[in-house]
Amino acid sequence: MANFNTHFMVGATASAVLSGTLLSMEVIYPPQAVMAFALGTFGSLMPDIDSDHSKSIGIGFTVVSLLVTILSVFIKSSTYSLIEMWLMAGVVFSSIRFGLIGAFRKVSKHRGMFHSIPVALIWGVVTAIVMHMFFGLNSLISWVYALMMSWGYIVHLILDEIYSVDLENRRIKKSSGTALKFFKLKTSVDKIQNVIIYAVLFGLIIISPDTTMIEESVFSLEAWRTFTDILLPYDGIWFFH
Amino acid sequence: MNSIFKYMGAVGISALFVGCVPAQGPSPSIKTPTLGTPIGIAEYGYPPQSYQNKIKNYFSNKIKRADRANYVFSKPQKAYKRKGLAYGGDVDWKGWLVDVDVSIPSRTGRMQKSKPYMVLFKDSVIVEEILGRTHKLITKVK
Repeated sequence: MANFNTHFMVGATASAVLSGTLLSMEVIYPPQAVMAFALGTFGSLMPDIDSDHSKSIGIGFTVVSLLVTILSVFIKSSTYSLIEMWLMAGVVFSSIRFGLIGAFRKVSKHRGMFHSIPVALIWGVVTAIVMHMFFGLNSLISWVYALMMSWGYIVHLILDEIYSVDLENRRIKKSSGTALKFFKLKTSVDKIQNVIIYAVLFGLIIISPDTTMIEESVFSLEAWRTFTDILLPYDGIWFFH
Repeated sequence: MNSIFKYMGAVGISALFVGCVPAQGPSPSIKTPTLGTPIGIAEYGYPPQSYQNKIKNYFSNKIKRADRANYVFSKPQKAYKRKGLAYGGDVDWKGWLVDVDVSIPSRTGRMQKSKPYMVLFKDSVIVEEILGRTHKLITKVK
């Protein structure tokens, strides 16, 4: 299993590569590329929030509680007085950062379903819905941010699987196969968890933004042509443009 | 010290989340309905005048290689838009919407497939443009 710093470095690099590619393909603009990079890096730290003593759980819950606090301030800014808003912000932040984290620690198990592909997709779809419905961003940018979140998350899972191979002793560690998985069916609790996770995923997909724009801009023949256009210097001259 | 960096990082990431708030467009001048104004017009205003030229001028500063862009316009239709749920979700715009397909050449000169935009008008003034043919916060009125 890779440590926090390795996940951070690899996640940031992978996010920089993808956001830079989307920027070059003119799918996104520079400020959006910065946001995409940040979300990809954040996503690459998220799988370890199921580990009670990892740095990720602290960072993840701090970011989520700050985000929810900011959202609640946005919603109530036109009706609440300053004192009401400060009190509400304090209660919202504390209850998530210090209250919810305890409950989450009790129910989550490291290398449980948080290390799985459907959960990576759930994080992505939630990102798309929040960006589209809460912040009013268009469907393309919402899905680009979703793609970055899931991309960072899956890079983390792949890295964990790579680290489960011990090259020096030439053996596969016990942790192999526990990160990059679609389901876990060891116990009846695992089975129920799987059903819930897939039900949540499909429910979120139903209410998610339209995917036409992301399909055309990133996953189409036209997008592939754009990618091949920009892969090499079109006039054969390197660096002197 | 570590925890200070951790919290600074968390605040930074949250600030980036907040940074995705869409920019406010120019506020349209709102005509006051009089006694004789039909209800539909009082709500949505009059259909935009010379909207094709206005859209071309608007995009000339918004997109790259706009001088070589091709436009396909649809007819204006009534629509309204809600604010994002983070801002309360109230209706913040009612007016006329024009669907436009804009195709521009890539940076290598190849003409690309057109992109759909929804251009929002209020009293013949462009309020905002939104990439895509649909948005969950926009309702087109038939």
